[in-house]
Amino acid sequence: MKKILINFKLNGENIVDEVEVNKTLLEYLRENLRLTGPKEGCSKGECGACTVLINGETFNSCLVLMPEIQNKEVVTIEGISRENPLILEYLIKEGSFQCGFCAPGIVVSLYSFFKKFKKPTILELKEAISGNLCRCTGYKKIVDAAKKYIDERF
Amino acid sequence: MMEFEYFKPKNLFKAIDLAENFKINKKFLAGGTDLLVRMKDNLIKEENIIDLKDIDELKGIWEKDDEIEIGPLTTFSEIIESEILNKFSPLLVLASKKVGSPQIRNKGTIGGNICNASPAGDSIPPLFCEEAKLILISKNGKRIVDIENFFIGPGKTIINDNEILYRIVIKKWRDNDIGFFNKLGQRNALSISIASNCVKIRKENGKVLDIKIALGSVSPTVVRAKRIEEEIKNLKNFDEDKLFIISSLVSKEIDPITDVRGTREYRIEVSKYLLFESLVNLLNR
Repeated sequence: MKKILINFKLNGENIVDEVEVNKTLLEYLRENLRLTGPKEGCSKGECGACTVLINGETFNSCLVLMPEIQNKEVVTIEGISRENPLILEYLIKEGSFQCGFCAPGIVVSLYSFFKKFKKPTILELKEAISGNLCRCTGYKKIVDAAKKYIDERF
Repeated sequence: MMEFEYFKPKNLFKAIDLAENFKINKKFLAGGTDLLVRMKDNLIKEENIIDLKDIDELKGIWEKDDEIEIGPLTTFSEIIESEILNKFSPLLVLASKKVGSPQIRNKGTIGGNICNASPAGDSIPPLFCEEAKLILISKNGKRIVDIENFFIGPGKTIINDNEILYRIVIKKWRDNDIGFFNKLGQRNALSISIASNCVKIRKENGKVLDIKIALGSVSPTVVRAKRIEEEIKNLKNFDEDKLFIISSLVSKEIDPITDVRGTREYRIEVSKYLLFESLVNLLNR
C-alpha cells in the first residue's frame, strides 16, 4: 500500500512518519505506536471505545484515516491521563467502571465535555457520553460520578 | 481495509478535474462515517478516494436574502451550533441532533448524508420539507436540482460521475412557521431510523396555510406525503379522531421493506402513530 508523509501533534509531541494511506488513526496508535489506551470495540463508530480528541473535539479514531489528521492535534487518553484531571478521581471513587473497556472513551468524552460546559445539566451530560457504549454498569455510576463532580466543583 | 489511491485536492477546480478523470472509478470522502465502514468491509469497488476536506469553498453556512446556502462539507455539529440555522431553519437543526452520536456529528457531513442517499438519512426529511435545492457542479458548470428529484433509490441519485454537490439551498423560515421531527429508533443515540417523519406547517389565525410532510425509512427514498398534506389543508378543526384517520392514510403513501430493524407491517403501523404524534404536537399546541 502506498505511504504518505504525515505530520501531526500527538499528546503535545510532534510526529512525522510515513504511513500507509489506508491505515486508520486507531490502528496507527495501537499498532505502530503501541498506545493501547484507545480500544477497538466495534470498528464502525458505534461504541466510542476508540474516542480521541482531534483539535479539541471528540472523534471515533476507528473512522479517521491517517491522511485526514495531517497538521492536526490529536490527544488520546494517555495525554489526558498525564494531566490527571479531577474527573478521574470521581470515577474511581464512585466505582464507575467494571471491565474498563469503555473507560478510556468515556473519560475522553467527559474531559472534552467539561472543558466546554462550565455548569452543565444532567441531560447535557448524558448527551455528551451518548456515543460511548458501556455494557457493565448501565451508565448509572458513571453519571453519578460526573454529577458529584459537577456539584462539588461548580 | 481495502487498498486505494488517496487524493486530497486543495480547491474545487482540482476536485472537479479529478472527478472528470476518474469518472465512476472514484469515491468522494466527506466525513467518512459511512464510507469508512464500507471500505473496511471491502464493499467499495472504486480504487480512488478523493478527500474533499481541504476544500474551504465546500464548508460553511451563508445567509443570502431570503435563502440560506449550506456547503456540503458542513458537519452536523456545525449545523447544530449555527446561529443562522437555529434562527431560520430550526427543523434541520432538530433533525441533525438525532444523527448518530457527538463523535459522529463532529465528523459526519450534510453533503455526505445526502449523497449516500440512504432512505434513513436523518437530515433528508427536513430538506424535503424545506423544498431544498441542490446545486451540482462539474466542468460544464452548475445545475440546480430539487431535492425531491435527486434520489432514485437506496444509495442511488441522479448525480453524474463528474459532478460534485456544491450547495444546499433552503428558504428562510417565516415567523409563523413551525415544525417537528419525529424519529423512531431502537434507542436514543446511535440508532438508524426505523421510521421517521418531518412536518413543517405555516399557520395563520388557526388556519393551516401550508403543510409539508416528509417520511423517512419507509420507502426506497425519503418521500413527501402529499395526499395527507391536502387533507390537512382542508380541515376546519383539528379534532384528534379526525387527525388519526388522516394519519392512517400514510399506509397508502409508503412502501417499506422488512429488515433487521423492523418488518414492513411494523413500519406501516408505526408510521401512522408517529405521524399522528407529529400532527397533534403541531396543530394542537
